[in-house]
Amino acid sequence: MPDNGGFTVAAYIAAAVIYLCYAIYLVRGGRAKG
Amino acid sequence: MTPIEALERARRRSAVWIGVGLLLMAAVYVRALAFTPVEAVQGPAQKIFYIHVPSAWVAFLAFGILGVTSAVYLFLKDPRLDLFAASTAEVGMVFTTAVLVTGPIWGKPIWGTWWTWDARLTLTLFLWFVIVAYLVLRTAVHEPAQRARYSAVLGILGALLVPFIYVSVYLFRTMHPMPVVLRPGKPTLPGEMLATLLFSVAVFTLFFVALLWHRYALARLADARARAEAERADA
Repeated sequence: MPDNGGFTVAAYIAAAVIYLCYAIYLVRGGRAKG
Repeated sequence: MTPIEALERARRRSAVWIGVGLLLMAAVYVRALAFTPVEAVQGPAQKIFYIHVPSAWVAFLAFGILGVTSAVYLFLKDPRLDLFAASTAEVGMVFTTAVLVTGPIWGKPIWGTWWTWDARLTLTLFLWFVIVAYLVLRTAVHEPAQRARYSAVLGILGALLVPFIYVSVYLFRTMHPMPVVLRPGKPTLPGEMLATLLFSVAVFTLFFVALLWHRYALARLADARARAEAERADA
């Protein structure tokens, strides 16, 4: 079995950062000009 | 309760659901990484599937809603539809960004390259640029009815790409794998992996709904406050 767990960890962290940053941005008011 | 108070309440409630969505997403991470079997051929990298595919599903859902809302706006001219369409575009772009980031990280260990200009990848990148253009357009046009009309046309064009992206793996020679669940015939995924995928799709969809609800409440609030201010200035 290939040893590529580092890519999995990187992808999961990248997705978490994207979603978490956007959620925080939105809850803090976003840009909200429509 | 005034409309602004009702929107403030919607904003607070949707913020709670965003928190619930994040907690459930943590549960998806735990289930996918610790309690789902490792695929024998691809190894651990195959687990990127459980965040890549649900992100893509939600992005397609968002742009489907964007297309329908934009088309209905052109008939009804209701500004709320325009605000809702803009909200789906912004939230959908976040999910598409996650697709375009996690895809290459999966591609490198499996295909040996971060990126290839095949039909599905190129069209997904093109869709991302269309949605960026949609959001930039909204900041560039200041007259609300004109902004809404131009945005609706671009929103429909973006949404028309979605079915094309879906069937692109059948129409062209591509490195991107075929669907394993939404395909003619039964899903080809083993039970435990399918359960993790369906859990993840449900959680990502809930998270999307919470983000969309919150983004729409913020847009309506900004709109209602601007109207109230204009009325005060006129009085």
